[in-house]
Amino acid sequence: MYTLLSGLYKYMFQKDEYCVLILGLDNAGKTTFLEQTKTKFSKNYKGMNLSKITTTVGLNIGTIDVGKARLMFWDLGGQEELQSLWDKYYAESHGVIYVIDSTDEERLSESKEAFEKMISSEVLEGVPLLVLANKQDVAVSSSCSSAHKFSSATCRTRLRSPSPVCVCVCVCVCVCVFVCLCVRTACRCRTSKRPSATARPRSARGTVWCSRARR
Amino acid sequence: MTRAATRQPRGRGAQPPQHRRHQDRSLFEMGGFFSNLFSGLFGTREMRILILGLDGAGKTTILYRLQVGEVVTTIPTIGFNVETVTYKNLRFQVWDLGGQTSIRPYWRCYYSNTDAVIYVVDSSDRDRMGISKSELVAMLEEEELKKAILVVFANKQDMEQAMTPTEVANALGLPALKDRKWQIFKTSATKGTGLDEAMEWLVESLKSRQ
Repeated sequence: MYTLLSGLYKYMFQKDEYCVLILGLDNAGKTTFLEQTKTKFSKNYKGMNLSKITTTVGLNIGTIDVGKARLMFWDLGGQEELQSLWDKYYAESHGVIYVIDSTDEERLSESKEAFEKMISSEVLEGVPLLVLANKQDVAVSSSCSSAHKFSSATCRTRLRSPSPVCVCVCVCVCVCVFVCLCVRTACRCRTSKRPSATARPRSARGTVWCSRARR
Repeated sequence: MTRAATRQPRGRGAQPPQHRRHQDRSLFEMGGFFSNLFSGLFGTREMRILILGLDGAGKTTILYRLQVGEVVTTIPTIGFNVETVTYKNLRFQVWDLGGQTSIRPYWRCYYSNTDAVIYVVDSSDRDRMGISKSELVAMLEEEELKKAILVVFANKQDMEQAMTPTEVANALGLPALKDRKWQIFKTSATKGTGLDEAMEWLVESLKSRQ
């Protein structure tokens, strides 16, 4: 009887958990994005002073609830030597957010390299991908289109995804949409409450958003 | 917990923290209320931090570097050292526990109410990385440390054969930690490098804890 009731309770109230990786070069704004997301989606969270955010050499985590889904973010360090740690997380992630510093033209190619390396990983096949062209509030930032070009070429060849959409919005909206994407991807292959990362469908979608993580 | 493990090793420090806290409360209800209110308003609650790691990693040197800002001559710690360190308006009660094989089982006596763990690794000691890893893994499995923030100090970076922070992170199996915030810093306790950044990060993440 207890099992039945607890099962029912779990069925009603337990949330699906999705793990989302936040990747990108160092100084792209990954931790700021995570902090902003946490501040906006969890009520009692005071948030870190954004100016006090230092280089991540490790892992920051954040959990937010959006509707019936619970997202667990893994924000990893982006320095070159830390990029070797990224692939340790691929197998368990249900989605990837890739952050680009759109003010930094010089490192765009470096970012692209890291992006391509990430996307060519077999373990990540079929995982929903969100590309953020961050720092849109800075005057010199290149528009979405460059970031768009950057990822769409790779996405099309590697993931055979439909052409990515590109919109300028605040952090809130882009997270919401991403959640839908994650959930939808996972729904199609649902076997258990926590969908296994290996059973993801092939048709993933790449999305490019421009963001202002600091705002 | 076994009977042996509940016994606390002797040390230079005062009473175990649990005891001290109870005494405060019974002594001065009213004072406790106001001090709670005060600390609630100004965030001056004393944070409890453990410094752990194998013997010879540099834990005691780090503790006194943080407290008095200079390198002191240390002997292997049998027992523990406890000091209050103030950093950026936050008061830390820092516990440095002995790291020798025979006294590592006693670490768990100090786990309760811990806000953060500073795990110190001797980056030049490649042979004992495996032991360091298994001690770390065993420690993190403890229920009482579920909420604690983990900071790893890849210490002794001034040594020539020191491993890089990434190598240390891999050797310790840190990428396998999926539900805990962690950060690794390269430090040299004798030279005093890296400690400030590490403490700065620790302060900020303790302040913003959910």
